[in-house]
Amino acid sequence: MEEKGRIGIPRALMFYRYFPLWRSFFERLGWKVMVSDGIKQKEKIIYFEDSCLPMKLLVTHAIQLKDKVDHLFIPRLVSIHRTYIMCPKFRGAPDIVRLATEGNVSILDETVDLRKGGAPLLRSFMNIAEKLGASRQESKRAFREAEESFSKFQKDWVGRINRLPTGQLFEMDVPTPAPRRVQGCPEPHMVQGAASSVEVGGKGVGIPLRIAFIGHPYNLFDIDINKDLLALAKSLEMEIMTSDLLSEKEIDQEVSGLSKEIYWSSGREIVGSLFHFLSGGVDGLVFLTSFKCGIDALLQEFIKRRLKVRGGSSIPFLILSFDEHTGREGLTTRMEAFRDVVEQRKNSKSEARNSKQHQNSNRMTKGIFPF
Amino acid sequence: MHIFCKAIAETAGIPYILPPETSRKTLTLGVLHSNESICLPFKIILGNFIEALQMGADTIVMVGSGPPCRLGLYDLVQKVILEDMGLHYRWLTIPPRLSWKAIWKNHEETKELRKELSAKNVLFFPYGLWMGWKKMMACEALEQLAMKVRPMEIKKGETQGRLKKALSWVDEAKTPRALDGAIREGKTHLQEMERDPSRIPFKVAIVGELYTVMDPHINRGVEQKLGELGVEVTRTSWFSTHILRSLRKNKADRASERIRFFEASKAYLGYDVGAECNISIGEAILRSEEGYDGVVHLMPFACMPETTASGILTKVGKDRDIPILTLILDEQEIEGRIQTLLEAFVEMLEWKRRAA
Repeated sequence: MEEKGRIGIPRALMFYRYFPLWRSFFERLGWKVMVSDGIKQKEKIIYFEDSCLPMKLLVTHAIQLKDKVDHLFIPRLVSIHRTYIMCPKFRGAPDIVRLATEGNVSILDETVDLRKGGAPLLRSFMNIAEKLGASRQESKRAFREAEESFSKFQKDWVGRINRLPTGQLFEMDVPTPAPRRVQGCPEPHMVQGAASSVEVGGKGVGIPLRIAFIGHPYNLFDIDINKDLLALAKSLEMEIMTSDLLSEKEIDQEVSGLSKEIYWSSGREIVGSLFHFLSGGVDGLVFLTSFKCGIDALLQEFIKRRLKVRGGSSIPFLILSFDEHTGREGLTTRMEAFRDVVEQRKNSKSEARNSKQHQNSNRMTKGIFPF
Repeated sequence: MHIFCKAIAETAGIPYILPPETSRKTLTLGVLHSNESICLPFKIILGNFIEALQMGADTIVMVGSGPPCRLGLYDLVQKVILEDMGLHYRWLTIPPRLSWKAIWKNHEETKELRKELSAKNVLFFPYGLWMGWKKMMACEALEQLAMKVRPMEIKKGETQGRLKKALSWVDEAKTPRALDGAIREGKTHLQEMERDPSRIPFKVAIVGELYTVMDPHINRGVEQKLGELGVEVTRTSWFSTHILRSLRKNKADRASERIRFFEASKAYLGYDVGAECNISIGEAILRSEEGYDGVVHLMPFACMPETTASGILTKVGKDRDIPILTLILDEQEIEGRIQTLLEAFVEMLEWKRRAA
């Protein structure tokens, strides 16, 4: 098929979740998809508005792309869930970019609001395709195929996180490496999903620490924001767990009983998965947030206070807050210290268990040989 | 604000505790028990609650709100914070929108409370509400009048003194007749003030997040400061506006004005961002067409919708050639800085007028 033109997708915000879907949709319609490069230097960040770092990066990426493409794809994500909504900043994002690029480039800013009835996602994509001049049938087929390939991609997702460098996570041409088997150790349970996450290792060296990394996907997977925290974690022999491991039901369980419903879908995911992991299944928790994120600021306070009031969890919990000034060195120190804490706790726990077993066996011996 | 809430409780005979006026201490308490990126209204409200509970209050009545702004989840977080601090309270949220679900939820929340209310309380409650509403409208009318006469005052600060006095009369009025008298007297008291009729005041609209616009404690008296610099201030955010809006009475005058603003904002913003964002932008656009000299945009630090608005407003100011001053407020002691900024802003307006 001949190339119809180029569509630019800024490497920012929900790119870090839906890029595979978007890319395959546009490619099936015959458009070439271009993605912006990383920013790397903080001097390059463009400060159009005084927002959180992810929003600043969106503007920067969009400006980087604007001269190279025919259209910029910045959907207006109002809601990506049946009931819950996105952060209000997403609603104005295309407008901000339009002002920042001074109207020099066409922006595909179709509203996505999954709270509406019918098949809202399909309809949004059909509208986009219509703007690009595709027929209804073509766009319908492209959407179905894109959806299919996206769900295939999602199945591999957790494996990809642990086995690929962060920069390659969204390069769909790079296949997911097969699980490694290290010195006869069984493959960590991550691929099998959440069901088996209850049986925690602790049998000794060689088994990585299971650390849950919680946060908005664009904080978790954007190297420019988190200075490749995931690679750092892997080098510290941590197995990365994310909220992608949990089903919606598991997440909902933890947040449905609150006196008021958390109405941001990302907020629910964060709070729900945090409390889920805190009730067991991991050795430690890291919560990533960017400075000035309104949702995280509020929920972070809620999480901290609730843990204090309710108690009940002694799993080490680290909050990392990022902005453009975050340095890799400070981050490394904190992560190493965190690792030490997690490891110590794990060892003391297994020691306690061993000594208990030891006592038990002593008593047994006494029982049999009463001298 | 306390004037009309007090009126409701007093008239219905419900015992109440009036927290001390928002002060440095209130804010410090609020800041101490929250984190840096939470918006200013959260901290102040929390501070007010803590002070009231420490003075012996046992029930908190809070006005709720809805998505997408953070305000809708204030109560969820504040409850946990108070609990963590070891303070005991009972909580009642007034729903942001009238609906059956909200009424049912309130029914659950008030089960305990209702046992303590006497028949007299219940019987007088509608009357109390009515009195509260009356007093609120009276306060707003007086404040609006003060905004008009303040730029003409000869003795600096006189308007504020007279306004305070007039408001205290409204506060003290116990019966509808006394209230009417207080309003009349207050109005003449303000109008009697010595004025300089030769001055042509600048016209400036204040837009932005509602708490920062409405509460002089939060915005460090921007309204008064501007007035004393010779500016006639207008704003469309009043308590009554927001109450009417949540009662879905959109046809009232002020609400229809808001619809107009909302429509105007569509030139820059393709969707309802939430809270006051669209209104701020739309009002700035329309005010520039109506011949206003400038716009002051108020927002708390890290406010989500208004951050978007401030980015767009810079552009609006350029496109429409109207000076827009954005003031970002947080707990920092910046009263002096605000004064300087406002003085510079007014000077700029003067140049513009002279150049024209």
